[in-house]
Amino acid sequence: MSQILTTLSPLERRRQRVGIGFITPTLLIIALILVYPVVQSFVMSFQQQGFAGDETTWVGTRHYDAMFASSRFWNALTVTVVFTLITIPVELAIGLGLAILMNESFRGKGFARLAVLFPWAFPTALNALMWRWMYNADYGIFNDVALKAGVIAEPVNWLGDATLAMMSMAVVSIWKTSSFMALIILAGLQAIPRDLFEAGRMDGMNRWQEFTQITLPLLRGSILVALVIRSMDALRTFELPFNLTDGGPVAATETLSLYAYKTIFEFVEFNSGAAIVVVQFAVIFALSLIYVFALRPKD
Amino acid sequence: MERRAGKGTYITVVISVVISFFPIVWLILTSLKNTAGIYSWPPQYWPDPFTLENYIYIFTETPELLRYVVNSFIVGVGCTALTLTAGGMAGYALARLRLRFSTGLMLMILSVSMFPPIALLPSLFQSFVNLGFLNSYLGLIVAHTGLFLPYAVFMLASYFATLPVEIEEAAQIDGMGFLQIFTSIVAPLSWPGFVATGLIIFIFSWNEFPLALVLMTQDAMRTAPVGISLYPGEFAFPWETISTATVIAIIPILVITAIFQKQILGGLTAGTGK
Amino acid sequence: MRFPKIAAAVSAALLSAFAPQYATAEDLILSIGPRGYGGVVPDAVASFQEANPDISVEWLKISDVPSESRKLYVTSFTAKAPTPDVMTVDVIWPGEFAKRGWIAPLSEHFEADELQNFNSALLEAATLGDEFYGVPLFVGGTLFFYRKDLLDKYDLPVPATWEDVIASAKVVLEGENDPDLVGFTSMWAKIEGLFMNWLSFVYGNGGTFFDENGDVAVNSPEAIHAMQTMVDILYEHKIANEGILNMRPDDARTLFQQGRAVFMMVQDFVHAPLSADDSPVDGKFDFRRIPTFAGHEDAPTTAMGGFLIAMNANSENKEAAVKLIKHLTSYDRQLWAATEASKSPGRVDVVSDEGMQKVPVLARFGEAFAKGVVRPSALTGNAYPKVSDVMQIEITNALHQRKTAEEAMNDAAEQINLILGK
Repeated sequence: MSQILTTLSPLERRRQRVGIGFITPTLLIIALILVYPVVQSFVMSFQQQGFAGDETTWVGTRHYDAMFASSRFWNALTVTVVFTLITIPVELAIGLGLAILMNESFRGKGFARLAVLFPWAFPTALNALMWRWMYNADYGIFNDVALKAGVIAEPVNWLGDATLAMMSMAVVSIWKTSSFMALIILAGLQAIPRDLFEAGRMDGMNRWQEFTQITLPLLRGSILVALVIRSMDALRTFELPFNLTDGGPVAATETLSLYAYKTIFEFVEFNSGAAIVVVQFAVIFALSLIYVFALRPKD
Repeated sequence: MERRAGKGTYITVVISVVISFFPIVWLILTSLKNTAGIYSWPPQYWPDPFTLENYIYIFTETPELLRYVVNSFIVGVGCTALTLTAGGMAGYALARLRLRFSTGLMLMILSVSMFPPIALLPSLFQSFVNLGFLNSYLGLIVAHTGLFLPYAVFMLASYFATLPVEIEEAAQIDGMGFLQIFTSIVAPLSWPGFVATGLIIFIFSWNEFPLALVLMTQDAMRTAPVGISLYPGEFAFPWETISTATVIAIIPILVITAIFQKQILGGLTAGTGK
Repeated sequence: MRFPKIAAAVSAALLSAFAPQYATAEDLILSIGPRGYGGVVPDAVASFQEANPDISVEWLKISDVPSESRKLYVTSFTAKAPTPDVMTVDVIWPGEFAKRGWIAPLSEHFEADELQNFNSALLEAATLGDEFYGVPLFVGGTLFFYRKDLLDKYDLPVPATWEDVIASAKVVLEGENDPDLVGFTSMWAKIEGLFMNWLSFVYGNGGTFFDENGDVAVNSPEAIHAMQTMVDILYEHKIANEGILNMRPDDARTLFQQGRAVFMMVQDFVHAPLSADDSPVDGKFDFRRIPTFAGHEDAPTTAMGGFLIAMNANSENKEAAVKLIKHLTSYDRQLWAATEASKSPGRVDVVSDEGMQKVPVLARFGEAFAKGVVRPSALTGNAYPKVSDVMQIEITNALHQRKTAEEAMNDAAEQINLILGK
C-alpha cells in the first residue's frame, strides 16, 4: 500500500487516503451483510448439507448439473427475463413522462406530485394481495367494472390464464414502479439549468425539439441510474409473484427468486437453492457490467 | 418565465392522479366498510354504512400495531441516516476522489447487492445469532443499511458526478480539506439528490419484510409489515382489519412523502445556484 | 449543510440506546398464532403459571399462515436456535421436522394409554418409527357445504355421492338460470388444499396414496377415475367455472357467502363466517361429510388438517417445556378450547363430555373427522414438501387440460418414486 502512495504527489496521496477512509464504512457494512452471505452461498452451492448429525460433503457441480437439466429452472429463467423485458421499457417511458409532467407548473401541482409518487410507497406484499382481490375472476372489481361498462362480455380470468397472468402481473409492476423511475429522473431534471430552456425558446424551439435536444441528453445519467436499479430489482422479483399468483398458473409466473425461495424454504434444500441464486446473480452481474461501463465517469 | 400548462397537460395530470391513487382510495374505502359490505355482491363501491368499527377494533384489540409502526419508524430513520452518511461518503470517494480500482469497487458493491434478499436469510440469521444482533434496533438498521447501501452509493455517486468540478477545485486551491469540501460544499449542493435517495431508502426500509421477519423475533420489536402479517388466519384473510392496519401503517410514509416532495420537486433554485 | 454530522450523531445515539437484547434462560417461549388458537392461549398460559409459579411463559405471536411461520422455523431451526421452546406445527410438518432433528421425541413423557385419547390420524402423522414428535392440539378437516334452500326448492335430497352432486347441481343451475351462480366451488389453486381435495376424491373412490405393499398408488385406476371426475366437473359437466383454479379457501368461502354457489368443498373454518348474522346465506346452508363415489359409501373422505404442539430439539428448558405441552393438551384445557373458543379438540375423549353440548356444531365436525384421511407426511418424512409439490403440479396440469388425467397421474407416480428413491 505505502509503495503505491509514495509514487504519487502529496495531493494525490491525500486524495487516496481520504478516499479510502470515506469508503471504508460502506465496505465494512456490506462485507457483513452482503459479502459474507453471498460467499457462503457460493460455497454451499458446491456442497450437500447433512441433517441431524450427518456430514456436509462436497459434491462439485452436481447441483448445477441437476439445475441446468431441469425444465423448471429454465422456465423460471424465461419468466424472469420476459417479465423484465416487458416491464422496464414501459416503466421508463411512463416514468419519464411523469417526471416531465411533474416538473411543469400548474395548479394543484403539489397534490398531483404526491399522488403520482404514492404507488411506489405502498408495501409490495400488501399491494400484490390487493390487486389479487381486484383481479378475482368471480367477484373482483375489475371484472365488475369492465362488464358494466360493456368492455367485456364475460368475466375474464385475469390470473388464471398463463399469458394473461403475466400481463396482469406486469401491470401491477408498472403501476407501482413508474413512480419510482419518475422520482429518480426528476432529481436529474431539477439539475438542468433553467437558462438552457430559455435559450432554446428564444431560438424558437418547439416542445419536441426542447425535449430531444436539451432534456434527453442531460437526463442520460439519471435515466441510466433508474434503468440499472430497476432492472436489477426486476430480475429479483419475489414479493409480487409470491403474493399475486404464487408462481401460477402452473409456474407461468414463477420467477427465479420465487423458485429459489421454494427450494430453500419449502424443500429445505439449501444447496440447490444456493446454486439457483448464484446463477441468478451471474445473469444480473452480466447485465450490470454493461451498465457500469456505460456510466463510468469520463476522466 | 414559466410556460403555462395547457389543457393537454391538465388532462394527463388528472388521468395520472386517478390511476395512481385509485388502489389507495379503494383500500381506504374498504377500511370504512363493515364486513358484509366488503364481501358483498355486487361489489359495494361506496361504504354503506360508513363505519369506523375497523379502526376501533384495531386500537382496542391490537394496540400493538402502533408500537410496530414506531419500530418501523426508528429502523427507517436509523437506516436512512446511516445509509446516506456512509453511502454519501463512498459515493463521493468513487465519483470525485479518483480512487484507484474505483470501477472495480463500484462493480463489487453493485454485484453483491444482486443477491435476492430472501436467499440471504438463513446465512444472515446465523451471523446475527452469533453476534447477538437479534432483536435489536441496531441489528436491523445495519441489516437494512447493508441491503440498500449499494443503491445509495450508486445513486449518489451518479449525482455527484453531474456537479460541476470548478467549485470543488476552487476550494481545493483555497486549501480546504476533502472532508470539509464534502460537508460544506458538495453535500449542500446535492441536497435534492440526498433527499430523493433518502426518501427511497426510507420507503425501502419501511416496506422490507423478510429480514424484518426473522431478525426481530420478539413481539415488541416487530416492524409494521411483519405486524400486519399477523392478521390473517390460516385460511381467512380479513380485509376489514388488514386494510385498516395498512392505512394506519402507511400514514407516516404519506406524511414524509408529502413533506419531502416539496424538497425534491419544489424550489427551482435548489441545488443549482449557478 | 451539516447533514452528515447530524446523521452521524443520530447513528451514535441509536447505537448506544438500543443494545442487543437477549431472552433470559428461565423463560419458556411459546409460539402460536394469534388468529387460530390465539383465543385459547391467554387463559391456558395463566392457568399454567398458576400451577407452576416457578416457570414463566412468554407468548410469541407468529403468523397463522403456515408458509409464513415456516419461513421463521426453517431459518431458526437451521441455526439451531434454542427458542421458541414450544411451538405449534402444521400437521404435515412433524414428519419432516423430526427427520431433520429439529423437534424432540416425546414418547418418553407419555404413557401408551394416554395416547389413546388423542386423534389417531394426527398422531400417526407425527409418528416416525416408534417415536412420536407432536401432540395433537386442535384439528380441522374439509367438509361439504350445500345450499339447503336451493335443494329444497328443486325437491332434491342432500347428495351422498359425486354422481348425485353433479346431477343435482345441473338441475339447480338450469332452474335458476343465473349467470352469477356456480354449481360447485372449492380451493383448486396450486396449493396444499388442492392436494387435500384430490385425496378426498381418490379415497372416496376406494383409492389410496400408497397401496398395501407400500408402493405409490396415485395412478391406480381408482385414482385416475377420481382425477378425471375433477376434470369433468370443470369441462364436461360445467358445474364449476375456471375461476376455481385460482381459488384459495377464503376465496371459495366468499363466493359461497355471496350466495353464488350451490355446493362448496373447503375446511370447517368457514362455518363461523357463513353463519354470522350479516351473512347472506345464514340459515340457508348446511354441511355434511364429503361425498364418496357410488359403491364406496363407507370410504373416508375428510381430508384432515390441524396443528400439533411440539418441542424444540435444542430447547434449554426441556423439562418445563414438557410440562407446558402436557398442560395444553390436558382434558380440561382441551374442553375449554372447544367450548369457549370453538377449536375442535385433538383429544377425542373430550368430545363425549357434557360441556360439548354448548357447541353442537363441533360434535358434527367430529363425526366427519372420524372418517378422516391424512396426507402422507409421516410416511414420506422430509421428502413430503417435494411430494406434495409434484402432486399439486400434476393435478393442476390435469385440471388445466395440459395433460390427460391418466398422463398426469402416471407422471406424478414416476416422479414420486424418483424422489422416494424407489
